[in-house]
This record gives sequence, structure tokens and C-alpha cells, in this order.
Amino acid sequence: MIEFKNVNKWFNKLHVLNNINLKIPKGEVLVICGPSGSGKSTLIRCINRLERIQKGEIIVNNTPVHDKSSNLTKLRAQIGFVFQQFHLYPHMTVLQNVMLAPVNVKKLDKKVAEKIAREKLEKVGLTEKASAYPAQLSGGQQQRVAIARGLAMSPEIMLFDEPTSALDPEMIGEVLDVMVKLVSEGMTMCVVTHEMGFAKKVAHRVLFMDEGTIVETGTPDDFFDHPKTDRAAEFISKILTH
Amino acid sequence: MMGFYFSRLVEIYPFFLKGLWMTSKIAFISLVTCTLIGFILGIFRSGKNIILKRIVGVYVAFVRGTPFVVQIFIVFFILPEWGLQLDAFPAALLAMAIMGSAFICEIVAGGIDSISKGQWEAAASSGLTLAQQLRLVIVPQAMRVILPPLVGQYVLLIKDTSVVSVIGVMELTRVGWVTVVRIPEGLMVFSLVGVLYFSISYPLILLSNYLERKMALE
Repeated sequence: MIEFKNVNKWFNKLHVLNNINLKIPKGEVLVICGPSGSGKSTLIRCINRLERIQKGEIIVNNTPVHDKSSNLTKLRAQIGFVFQQFHLYPHMTVLQNVMLAPVNVKKLDKKVAEKIAREKLEKVGLTEKASAYPAQLSGGQQQRVAIARGLAMSPEIMLFDEPTSALDPEMIGEVLDVMVKLVSEGMTMCVVTHEMGFAKKVAHRVLFMDEGTIVETGTPDDFFDHPKTDRAAEFISKILTH
Repeated sequence: MMGFYFSRLVEIYPFFLKGLWMTSKIAFISLVTCTLIGFILGIFRSGKNIILKRIVGVYVAFVRGTPFVVQIFIVFFILPEWGLQLDAFPAALLAMAIMGSAFICEIVAGGIDSISKGQWEAAASSGLTLAQQLRLVIVPQAMRVILPPLVGQYVLLIKDTSVVSVIGVMELTRVGWVTVVRIPEGLMVFSLVGVLYFSISYPLILLSNYLERKMALE
């Protein structure tokens, strides 16, 4: 479903993605971890072309993402993206946030879009917040709205860029619960996170990155309990003892 | 004495009303065109297209760095040498459009630049086109930053219409000039001119203050 072929990216001289080869089949839940600056966020941001790549190819559902002739709007419509800082639209209510793309990208009738939006809000447990503004919500609630906003486009893939890193500890659980629910529905997911509990519970595969390369991949149990490389071992001990 | 002033006033007021009407006409048309052009330029100025951004940057720098009177002279006296001959009224409108749009461009670009990159990315990643990102997500938020200085700029533009008197447009200031050479009550004439300008710009000053307080509160 998602394929990276010899992907390279530089930020000026910094080689942020160094020859990445990766296949993510439909239905897989991939957790990406690694120290900050290792290129993990950049990796998933390339999947919907929030970042450009300089060499190589990324193919999503047979569409070459970085080919100029590809229909970017259509591609992005099938990929949901959840940001660390939520990025809800502050001038719109929760319901309007969730409806915006279905109405304007998919050109759905407003009533149909509203029905879908309310379904997705119910899924993330925020039905009663439909007419609230983002500023009136807690961080955890905002992130759940952001997930609902992504789901409203009925995407085939959901990308999460450190979805719980900006949250107070007591709110992390409610967001992870929603994500676990998505896993159980068979959503294809790439999640940049350091939440080991989440990774162990639901990830099919863990990918460890450092300095722009994929250092190690494995099942969550193998990776966290028996890392193959010293770098991964060091990283795991750091997130365990922080 | 007062009776004498009053009879003078009665004598000259139709002339001043005409001037006020002309000033209002120039101001209104200019505000509309400056706003339209200013928003388009402002969007280019804050955009990713480096070439457009630079071109607009040069335009803005030139307009902001030269006196408005000189710009009017260029439009009215120099453009005809290049084949564009305009009457005083359209020349005044063109000069106002050039000057006002440059200032509004900077206000709009500043407002758009104040919106975080994350808002663009959230909108883009959901599949909205660039135009939709601007129209639905970015500009509505930027308006909170743009609106107070924009209305303030409108006040300045209204006052700047007085400068077009130099090419003979019979607006309020020009009417003042012409009147004052015919009658001796210069103080009264220009007081009247001032009061009439004030009557148009003061409501906008109040609006600008109100918007500034309202936006600061939210």
C-alpha cells in the first residue's frame, strides 16, 4: 500500500532521509521511533507530500506521490494526518472542523457531511462537543477531534506524528484508546511515537530510525526486549528511565 | 460679524458639497480597488512563489519609498509620454490604487504570515487546494490581524485623496484653494474643509479603535 524506494532527502546539507526502503502493506500498524532529529517525522510527512524528496520514489496505492503529474488533492484525501500540535482550525466549531474537507474536497452535501462528522465525533467520544470551539477543549479532546477530522474523509491510511507528545500525561490514555479502536477496525497506520505500551499492545512492526536511516525493524516484543543494535538498546533504556 | 460669516457660508456651501461629493467618490472607489488589489498582492507577497514575492516586494518598496505627490505626477505627466493619456479624475484613481494597494498589501501579508505553518499543513493534508486553504482556513484567521490596521489605513487613504488636488481634480481641498483666493475668510474656508474631512474619517477612526479593542479581547 505504501512503498519507499531509495528515498533520499536533504535539508540543505543535512541528510535527513538516507536511502529509505520500506513497504507498508494494507492493514499494517507501524510504529516509528528514534531520537529527535532522526528523520521519523520527516519520513511520514513525505507520504502525503508535506515534505518533498530529492531522490527516490514513494508510491501510495499505485500513485507516485512525488511525481508532478499525480493528483495531490486526491492522494491527500485518502490519507489522514494527525499532528503533534493538533492544528484544529480555531475559528470553526468542532463540527465545522470535521466537516470542512468532506464538504470542500469530496463535495459532499452538507447534510451528508454533517452525518458523517457526527458519526466520527461519536467514535472519538466527543458528540457533546460538536458546537464547542477548539480553545474550549482540553488537549486530549482537541487531539481526538483532530483524529475525527482525519477519519471524516474515510481515509485508507492514517498517519500520526507524535500524537501524544504535546499532551499532559493524564490525557494520553484517551487519545491512545481511540487509536487502538482504529487498529481493531483494520486501519493502515503509521505512528511516530515513543509510547511503548501502545507499540507493544497493537503495533505489528516497530521501526527504529537514527540519523536518517532505518537502523532496525522488528516485532514490538523483539524490538523492545531484544534489540539487535547497540543504538536501539541505548534508546530503549533512555525512554524506559526518563 | 457672525451674520456676515453665515451669509458667506450660505454662498459657498454648494461648491463645498460638490467637493465633498468628489472626495467621497474618489475615496470610495479607491478603498474598494486598493483593497482588492492589496489582498491579491498581499497573498503573492506572503506566498511561496519567490519570483512573484520579489516583484511585489520591489513594487511595495518603490511605492512606500516615494512621496504620493511624485507618484501622481508620474501618472498624470509622465505616463502620457509613454502613450497613456489620462484625464485628471482617472489619473487620480490610478495613482490612489497604486499607492493604497501597496500599503494594504503589507498589512495583508503581515496578517497571513502571522498564521502558523501548522494551519496550512492541516488544511493541505486534508486535500484542500491552495485557493481553498487560503479562503477557508488562512484568510478568515488572518482577518483578525488585518482588520484593525486595514481600517486605519482607510483613514489615511481618505486623507491622501486631498493630494490629488495638485492635478486639478475638484475635490474638497481643491475647492478650498479655489475659494480662498476669491474671498478673504481663509480661516473659515479651511476650517470648513477640515470639518468635512473629519466627518468622513472620524467614523472610521472609531471603527478602527473598536476593532482593535475587540480583537485584543478575543
